Amino acid sequence: MEPKVIHRVKLTPRSLEVDGKRVAEAVAGESFLTHVYRQRQMDYPKFFKMDVLCKLGFIASEILLETEGAERFVPRADRAVILFNRNSSLNADRTFQRTIADPEEFYPSPSVFVYTLPNIVTGEIAIRNKYHGESNFILLPEKSEEAMNQAVERAFMDGETTSVLTGWLEAVSETEYEAEMKLIMMM
Amino acid sequence: MELIEELKTKMIEALNLEEMTPADIDDNAPLFGDEGLGLDSIDVLELIVLLERNYGIKIADPKQGKEIFASVRTMADYVAANRTK
Amino acid sequence: MRPKVVITGMGVVSALGIGAEANLSALLRGESGVCAVRYLPTEHREFPVGEVPMSGEELRQRLSLPPGIYSRTHLLGVLALREALEHSKLLQQNALALISGTTVGGMDVTEHYFPAPQPADRDIHDCGASTNEIADYFGCFEYTMTTSTACSSAMNALIMGKLLIESGERDIVVAGGSEALSLFHLNGFKSLMILDRERCRPFDQTRAGLNLGEGAAYLVLESETSALQRGAEILGVLSGGGNACDAHHQTASSEDGEGAYLAMTQAVSDAGVSPSDIGYVNAHGTGTPNNDASESAALRRVFGEKLPPVSSTKSYTGHTTSASGSIEAVFCLLAMREGFLPYQSEYQNFDEQCIVPVSGKECQRVSLHHVMCNAFGFGGNDSSIILSRYE
Repeated sequence: MEPKVIHRVKLTPRSLEVDGKRVAEAVAGESFLTHVYRQRQMDYPKFFKMDVLCKLGFIASEILLETEGAERFVPRADRAVILFNRNSSLNADRTFQRTIADPEEFYPSPSVFVYTLPNIVTGEIAIRNKYHGESNFILLPEKSEEAMNQAVERAFMDGETTSVLTGWLEAVSETEYEAEMKLIMMM
Repeated sequence: MELIEELKTKMIEALNLEEMTPADIDDNAPLFGDEGLGLDSIDVLELIVLLERNYGIKIADPKQGKEIFASVRTMADYVAANRTK
Repeated sequence: MRPKVVITGMGVVSALGIGAEANLSALLRGESGVCAVRYLPTEHREFPVGEVPMSGEELRQRLSLPPGIYSRTHLLGVLALREALEHSKLLQQNALALISGTTVGGMDVTEHYFPAPQPADRDIHDCGASTNEIADYFGCFEYTMTTSTACSSAMNALIMGKLLIESGERDIVVAGGSEALSLFHLNGFKSLMILDRERCRPFDQTRAGLNLGEGAAYLVLESETSALQRGAEILGVLSGGGNACDAHHQTASSEDGEGAYLAMTQAVSDAGVSPSDIGYVNAHGTGTPNNDASESAALRRVFGEKLPPVSSTKSYTGHTTSASGSIEAVFCLLAMREGFLPYQSEYQNFDEQCIVPVSGKECQRVSLHHVMCNAFGFGGNDSSIILSRYE
């Protein structure tokens, strides 16, 4: 038995690729993430409340799991969600910092603050899919396939985890982001 | 009532209710729970900020929010009675 | 057979003081370090906090660092890590691994410059940078990783370190976390309306929220073989770890504490013990109405009628957020070594939704073999570890 990549999704401001095939491209006017959300008719209004890191993780995971085609939204604890990046929740941090920068306009926003925790995205994916397994958000000095693969292999050591939704999830701003998400199964 | 329409517009903006217009929000429908708008506890906190920022109303206990934010109408009544700006 | 993961060093800094012994003596006396703000430049003086009792300048001098602007997360982390490495006689060792948990990172330095941008050479905003700054002070780390799962970050660093040793990748991993108070998260928690204006009262019927705290703690985790070969003093065993997701809400815990329940049961089973073997639980116990009720529900599910002594030490340190998991793990090791139950000297009012914590006016002496330590984070990221006596 060894971990195998079952499906992969790559999402950047320019395009969406599923298992190496380009399936959607950016259009002028609308944010690409919102475009994919509407095109795929994802009915999840909470999407619009999310920060860009969370939107990115949500869309990438939705497409990955649709591609998997298994029954969804059944509570399970055998699937872990482990995501990585370098810049943590940088974009939300900047947004929140702006709400507390001006003493005359000092209204810290609770909904923005929540997204200054990078692991809110793993939590949102778990909530959406009723995943009760391991969840983790790990910051690496740089994108390293080796470090990510090792972390995933270690996640399988608990005797409970049979699959891992994982990958690189970086959003530096509303228009600069990259998701490379994979579904890995022990088989 | 103008205040009701104003609150609806501000709510849609503050809570990022992207796919809604003021006309979609019933004045008397519950804002929380499965019926109505289905807002959650973070939304309550955001509405508390909204009232402070726009109407100078300070709410110290989020539990108070349950009654104030029962519907847009109860919210408007509360704002009308307590606003300082 | 996986290698046994033992602990050969610990270091801690919190509102109770600098170093394990200072923290121990405050815990034994039931004294709190939570009081009015002294160092954080905030206007919100109505919220008591658990600040480490030293200014940034005093911390810098204590570490003999050249004058400059340092993140408090960095300074606290270095202090705790230095104690852990000294304790384990590893200061001269090379090629070590460091896993550190943080969320706020160098935010206090960002605030120092704000609204002007930080100088370009100060790339300390991303949280991973604070781990590297801490590591660089020592020059003995070749591998660093940062876990960022909100208030369970440091505990997940410990679990990750344990796995690195069990998988045979490493013999020694130093793991823990550091988090300093910042205006950023004080205002964030204020906006969530979960800060108490009094000292926090975990599990008490009158509890009204948490107090923020700060600090750092690191444990030296080591394979038993390596520790025996080096002749290192073995302080205990990191025998079990569990990480589960509540999958309920961004910030609120579920009523039945599903994530916490799963994390605790997994930790117990990973340790190869049964719930009745646990002699003490250091609860997450933040003092918010929601956490304490949810955690109590989960504890009752795990332990049934035979609930071991439980307490929260957050009325002493404040909620040290990302660092809480490793700070409280050190408290558990101290409790096991000295044979006492950390108690909540200010607990008064029974709440039927909550367990009854260890309380009273003096310390109960007991013999502890296995203890549980919990840390739960926003995002539903719930973790639990079991620490055992080495025998």
